Amino acid sequence: MTSRAGGAARQLDRTLAALADPTRRRVVELLRERPHRAGELAAAFDASAPAMSRHLRVLRTRGLVEEERVDDDARVRIYRLRREPFDALQLWLRELESFWSDQLESFGAHVAGRRAAAKPERPR
Amino acid sequence: MSTTDCVRVTTVVGSDPATAFDLFTREVDAWWRRGPRFRQGLGRPSVMRFEGAEGGRLVEAYTDAAGGAFEVGRVLAWKPGDRLIFQWRGNNFEPGLVTEVEVRFEPAERGTRVTLEHRGWDRVPLEHASRHGYGASNAFTSMIGLWWGDLLTSLRAHAGRGAPR
Repeated sequence: MTSRAGGAARQLDRTLAALADPTRRRVVELLRERPHRAGELAAAFDASAPAMSRHLRVLRTRGLVEEERVDDDARVRIYRLRREPFDALQLWLRELESFWSDQLESFGAHVAGRRAAAKPERPR
Repeated sequence: MSTTDCVRVTTVVGSDPATAFDLFTREVDAWWRRGPRFRQGLGRPSVMRFEGAEGGRLVEAYTDAAGGAFEVGRVLAWKPGDRLIFQWRGNNFEPGLVTEVEVRFEPAERGTRVTLEHRGWDRVPLEHASRHGYGASNAFTSMIGLWWGDLLTSLRAHAGRGAPR
């Protein structure tokens, strides 16, 4: 495992850990539609501002969202998804699917080989 | 517990389910591919084996002088000819993160349909994960669902190579 792959694995761990909470998954789902203000998110989940702030901090420190301040009002923060962790997650899922697909193909070939060995008069 | 947060692949192999289960488990080293993509020992020579049935474990045992073994995971279910469930850990997983692989063997017209599901990564145990009272959300599932379209396309593209169908 190269250190770069190790770094990617750690980022994946961070992504999965951030998504392990149902509220945070719903926040991500909302942010998929468009960027939201922190207050909108708190209202959408009937959550207290501190609770939502805690969730957003987890999403931000783990790199899933980024916040942007609106120029004319420093108190208003807008949250949007960062694309990279989701691309990495999708890539990982594809790799995992490909991993098992290759494994089952090999297993199928092994079973066929066993069958051919058991019936040498009728090779497949 | 959600079972839709998974990767699922399927194939048909040319034997009855009991034989397929037997070959899958007893001869796992013969078909489990080699190389760094499939084995976790950074190129060390190894054998894969199931040690024991239910309650046992799947290990990658190293055959070089240093020896030792990496435990891929415990065997959670062992139903010959029917079903096998084992845990699966990568050697780079955080402590406490375990995923689960279920393999089902079902009679099919020309042998056995083997369906493999690898699941469990929305269950990463973390400080906040179980503290909230919300029910299981479908958000992540539906997000994954969008991705499955692509995954299944690549699976179909892959089908028909090698394994009998």
